[in-house]
Amino acid sequence: MLEADERPNIYCETLGPDQFGIIEKPLTLAEQIYNKVWLRKIAILIVLALVWELYGRWLDNPLLVPPFSATIRALVTDVGNGTIPKRALSSIEVLLIGFATGTVLAGLLTVFAISSRIGTDFLETMTAMFNPLPAIALLPLALIWFGLGAGSLIFVLVHSVMWAISLNMLAGFRGVSTTARMVGRNYNLSGLRFVAKILIPAAFPSILAGLKIGWAFAWRTLIAAELVFGVSSGQGGLGWYIFESKNQLDIPEVFAGLLTIILIGLAVENVVFRFIEARTVQRWGMQT
Amino acid sequence: MTGGPALASKTASDTSGMKQASPATRGRAAPDHEAGHPLLDVRGVTMRYKTQAHLITATYRVSFSVLQGDRFVVVGPSGCGKSTLLKAVGGYLMPTEGEIRLKGERIVKPGPDRIMVFQEFDQLLPWMTVFENVAFPLKTTGTLRGKQAYERAMHYLEKVKLADFSHSYPHTLSGGMKQRVAIARGMAMEPDILLMDEPFAALDALTRSRMQDELLSLWDEIRFTVLFVTHSIPEAIKLGNRILLLSPHPGQVKAEINSVPRGEENSNEAAALGREIHDMLFADQIEEARDA
Repeated sequence: MLEADERPNIYCETLGPDQFGIIEKPLTLAEQIYNKVWLRKIAILIVLALVWELYGRWLDNPLLVPPFSATIRALVTDVGNGTIPKRALSSIEVLLIGFATGTVLAGLLTVFAISSRIGTDFLETMTAMFNPLPAIALLPLALIWFGLGAGSLIFVLVHSVMWAISLNMLAGFRGVSTTARMVGRNYNLSGLRFVAKILIPAAFPSILAGLKIGWAFAWRTLIAAELVFGVSSGQGGLGWYIFESKNQLDIPEVFAGLLTIILIGLAVENVVFRFIEARTVQRWGMQT
Repeated sequence: MTGGPALASKTASDTSGMKQASPATRGRAAPDHEAGHPLLDVRGVTMRYKTQAHLITATYRVSFSVLQGDRFVVVGPSGCGKSTLLKAVGGYLMPTEGEIRLKGERIVKPGPDRIMVFQEFDQLLPWMTVFENVAFPLKTTGTLRGKQAYERAMHYLEKVKLADFSHSYPHTLSGGMKQRVAIARGMAMEPDILLMDEPFAALDALTRSRMQDELLSLWDEIRFTVLFVTHSIPEAIKLGNRILLLSPHPGQVKAEINSVPRGEENSNEAAALGREIHDMLFADQIEEARDA
């Protein structure tokens, strides 16, 4: 056995960086391809489409489940003759008005909520009451108040969007760190300037999450409402298109309508929101 | 309260002693701080705050003055209320007793004449680049705008050797770099006094020591006034020219002493001073241990 104090001091020479074979090595092409999220997702979509096509052919009953190819044919035809774009635009227009109004109202409500205790209580009570209430349940009332048309749709949209966004905004504002708040106050920021320059950017991950949830709620509510009544000034949206096609037993068109809804949803999620995320919370390192 | 009656009376006599030492500053509306009168005057400040179940006295009748160009360090064990005291100087908390004056003006709210540098890395706003962070207070307080703000921000970023990182976002920087940006941001405002709340406490020992050297060389260049809070005695001796010792729970002034001259933080005097401070700060605990 060696005694502890008999151990000699050891000094080593280290190699320079130029003497190593590999410090960094690029991944192989296959690895790089597999690392692309969107490629993996597209692969999943292709498999799902294949399963659908095979099941449709095996079932051989286009009134129940038309195959994927028939749906795509119907989609291409109706996109080509302008029916679906017109209906989709009509839906999106109403949706954007409702969504924007709901977001602005949610913003005002939340700023009111953080600036006073009674405001917080008000917002919490309102969200507790109305968040679980499906917007579509208000449609009959909305029809009485605003009549058949865009007014009723916007009313239910605002309802479906507002509470979800307010809840997220409030949670986001509350989560802003004390240090960030103190930094803002150190520079004489107060009131709305403080909200705009410190609170909103600091709470942006939560706000963005709220906007995404709100968007999904709004889209669902709109389609459901249009299925009940979709005609405003003689031109309905996508929900109405589905309802009409079903009445005429054009089942591939029904599926084409559903597919359009999905595609628009995917596009907004993966293009619009992804773009905003990449430009904001990801660049800022608030989300990985 | 943990402090015994003997200690309390000693602190009280210390406080009155200090008051006698500077009678000229009393009764004058705006003391002439340029001629060696205090830039920052803390007089008999008691800080109390409420938690859910307790009313806590953080500091009790603390008095001290900071002169122009001072590197004034407040040192004390955790729980001595030094951070609370610094927040009061920052204007975030109001003293329950006593008052704090900066250039003769009573401090009532936070303001850009006292820029705070925090310990937490999230004091940099993550949605702004390094440059934007440094320029933000300049622009938002209307101190400077446009090209002047740009030049001032870049000037101080060069001082902390981070000009190359001006377009990086804070999350890409190391902890030490983040603190350097925060210091540059504070100094770019050219405040009357820079308040530093253990800014190096979350750094590793090597980075911490390098940051201390850099802060001192910045001081050699610019001669700003800084009020620095720490619980590390070696840091206090190295950084400060004047050291205020606070006793724990509630914080009371134990002593206000001069540090060793610059660059002698490794000398025998510094070691002796360190031992002296240590003994003063932990005297209560030794007594308590003996009693128990």
